[in-house]
Amino acid sequence: MKVLNIVLNGKAVTAKAGQTILELARENGVFIPTLCDSPALEAAAMCRLCTVQVIEGKWPKFVTACNFPLRRDAEVVTDSPEVRHGRKLIIELLMARCPTSPELQRLAADYNCDLERFSPLNDDCVVCGLCTRACEAVTGRTLSLAGRGTAIHVDTAFQKASTFCIGCGACVQICPVKKIAMEDVDGERRIILHGKIASRVQLPKCTSCGKYFGPVIDLKQVMERMGEHLIPPPNAAVCPDCSRRNLALKLGKRYFEQYGVFEDEGQADAG
Amino acid sequence: MIEATQPSNSPPVVTKMINPAALELYRQELQSRQDPDAPVVIVCCGTGCQAAGSVEVVDKFKEVLTGTGWSGKVVPMIKPTGCHGFCSRGPLVIIQPQDLFYQRVTVDDVEDIVNKTILNNEVIKKLQYKPANSKEVIPKAGDIPYYAKQTRLVLKNIGKVDPTEINDSILHGSYSALAKALTRMTPEQVIDEVANSKLRGRGGAGFPTGLKWESCAKQEGTRFVICNADEGDPGAFMDRSLLEGDPHSVLEGMAICAYAVGSNRGYMYVRAEYPLAVKTLTSAIRQAEALGLLGENIMGTGFDFKVTISTGAGAFICGESSALMASLEGKVGRPRPKYIRSVEKGFRDSPSNLNNVETYANIPDIVNRGGDWYKSYGTERSAGTKVFALTGNVYNIGLVEVPMGISLMEIVYGIGGGVPNKRALKGVQTGGPSGGCIPIPHKIPDINVGYGKLAEAGSIMGSGGMIVMDEDTCMIEVSRYFVNFLVEESCGQCTPCREGLIRMREILNRITQGEGREGDVELLDEIGRFTNNFSLCGLGTSAANPVLSTIRYFREEYDAHIRDKKCPAGVCKPLFHYEIDPETCTGCGLCKSKCPVKAIAGEKKKTHVIDQSLCIKCMECYKNCKFRSVKIM
Repeated sequence: MKVLNIVLNGKAVTAKAGQTILELARENGVFIPTLCDSPALEAAAMCRLCTVQVIEGKWPKFVTACNFPLRRDAEVVTDSPEVRHGRKLIIELLMARCPTSPELQRLAADYNCDLERFSPLNDDCVVCGLCTRACEAVTGRTLSLAGRGTAIHVDTAFQKASTFCIGCGACVQICPVKKIAMEDVDGERRIILHGKIASRVQLPKCTSCGKYFGPVIDLKQVMERMGEHLIPPPNAAVCPDCSRRNLALKLGKRYFEQYGVFEDEGQADAG
Repeated sequence: MIEATQPSNSPPVVTKMINPAALELYRQELQSRQDPDAPVVIVCCGTGCQAAGSVEVVDKFKEVLTGTGWSGKVVPMIKPTGCHGFCSRGPLVIIQPQDLFYQRVTVDDVEDIVNKTILNNEVIKKLQYKPANSKEVIPKAGDIPYYAKQTRLVLKNIGKVDPTEINDSILHGSYSALAKALTRMTPEQVIDEVANSKLRGRGGAGFPTGLKWESCAKQEGTRFVICNADEGDPGAFMDRSLLEGDPHSVLEGMAICAYAVGSNRGYMYVRAEYPLAVKTLTSAIRQAEALGLLGENIMGTGFDFKVTISTGAGAFICGESSALMASLEGKVGRPRPKYIRSVEKGFRDSPSNLNNVETYANIPDIVNRGGDWYKSYGTERSAGTKVFALTGNVYNIGLVEVPMGISLMEIVYGIGGGVPNKRALKGVQTGGPSGGCIPIPHKIPDINVGYGKLAEAGSIMGSGGMIVMDEDTCMIEVSRYFVNFLVEESCGQCTPCREGLIRMREILNRITQGEGREGDVELLDEIGRFTNNFSLCGLGTSAANPVLSTIRYFREEYDAHIRDKKCPAGVCKPLFHYEIDPETCTGCGLCKSKCPVKAIAGEKKKTHVIDQSLCIKCMECYKNCKFRSVKIM
């Protein structure tokens, strides 16, 4: 593999050809803030917070560290005054959208942001696209970015509660501003986006204890992706707690009943 | 809608060109059947003239000339053509061989034209063209300054050929360059010739075309040739005119490119708002394939090239190359966040050569006549000619093709005929929403139009929109208009472009409403520079240009809006009022009669007065006063 000589913030380091600036910076302990980056997903370069300056030829240019592949020897400046100023503006603009996010608040303090400059926009989403990209990787079609220009927003198809959702909660987990919620109510799992129910997934009722548990997943898509050899077991009818308990009972009965120390509580169904 | 009229001698019957020499024989055969003295009625059927009723004019000509009323010897040929470019005077009719130019022809004029001009060689005065500020008519099309001062290379066939009839194009030399390239040139020689011509991308960025082709040809695997016909700049219609008026030049250019880069698959991405262009192109491709000039085994050389038309869905952003390719793949039209050029990995992750319509249309002549010939036009760094859509406050609105390096004042005054209504020129906006305003003649006396010079002045060449602005134009309103356009048309995925544009619009809105604050201009400048530096794609990195260039040249106008709460141009309604100057008012009463709300009072021959409480600032009095006594205060 070709090794590149990179000057990272004045320090000479080596990089692998094709490596992104963000990867190189992390290897060398240089912090670059990000909002829309996730190691699990391909870079989308949407938030632009990781913008740095790179000099490959004569002039420095602004590039996003998350997806700029280093292909030749270069100089990288991750924290120049111009870069800091641009990041400050990004944070100020996003804080106007989503002032309650702890992550943004932390960044705002780091970059000495003036939070009075831009009037609030009453939106709770920073449009980083992480939820839609995570969803694309899992189900492929529940959440996506809809609309154009200022009207861009995360939505389900035709603004209807989606039927493709498997209730995995990846969107909830990945949201950097924690604005997507998930709740299990009345036998269904709900994903709540912009205060609206974006999807409902039916929850199975445990035949043993009667509690609702896990989402009912339509396995067709999973089977398509996994191939025949990896077909998961059919939907369980018993919740994991009962399943464990029942197994313990079964084993107990088999090995300890003869000693007369075991009393059957009458649970028959095994998970 | 329009059908090609058959020439008096029907064309020779051919099935397919079996070799490139057959094309030349076929052309000669067509030529021999032409009578140079036969009368031809050319009717412009570009979108503009069609809207003004040219299709009805063509139908009427057909009716009159083929009906019983016709008593002449030779039946004149009626030729509906593409856009002549002089759209403000449409529908246009040109009578050949006299080269008589008739403007604003209606259905009622047709019988007159036939009876007087065609039969008796008599001109009809009222249809002739008279330039602004002149009493002399100009009878011949070739003598009209608007045409005479242009250098028409790309547009040479437009207005001469019937775009619905391939034989007419072949007669004018179409596909001869493709034949030459396929038989007498290697792909490398074609690329060298294009590189030698110094042709630069006509879509706006001006990337050297030869260099792009060369890097595409170097790649491995299936390659694609894509034509960007998603022309979206407000007021620009160069590409539409080419596609509607001379589709074969674009198709031939694409085929030559495909041969040069080693591709046999082409896509044409046309915006859906151009139905006539799509229709003309579809029929052009079908006719060219029938003659073996496109499709499989072109002219028996074994070279295949298939072109497919794909239509957009009305998104400006799809004119950006990576968004266009995403859209072509059936995905959402958003620019791709990758630092990799599309000649390496573009459409379907394969090497793709994407050029603009006008770039491709330049290719046949470069191949036929050589790169040296092409670069003899224009300047050292900007070779050749460029088509501009001249519009705004100028007499002659329409398409103009000029050599690069021409003075902007010459375009506005020499070709455009100057600014109407005795108003002064304030500036010219070039490059569409990503461009900037050039303050000629006051702050910059003149500028030579070329990629470099325009960029130095803070604007861009762009695809060729050129909006002339007079003294009644408010520069803040102009930048607000473009920012508004981009707010709607940005894809919205990256923060600087989306949020930056929202804030710029917010600030410009409040300035034009008289609520501008001290520091707003600095804030606009700060956001503008940030948006241009930090955005993801070409749209975002130029989105602030209209704002930045107006701040650079018209700072005092911003200050007048913010500090004095005045709009000097009299556009932002809360920031001005009209008053009648008692010194110059003659009391003619014209303003009084024009006022829709009866806000003007005054006796004949005495100074009139405007009642400010009634005035709605509709501009009627201001526009109509012959003595310029209505003042903006």
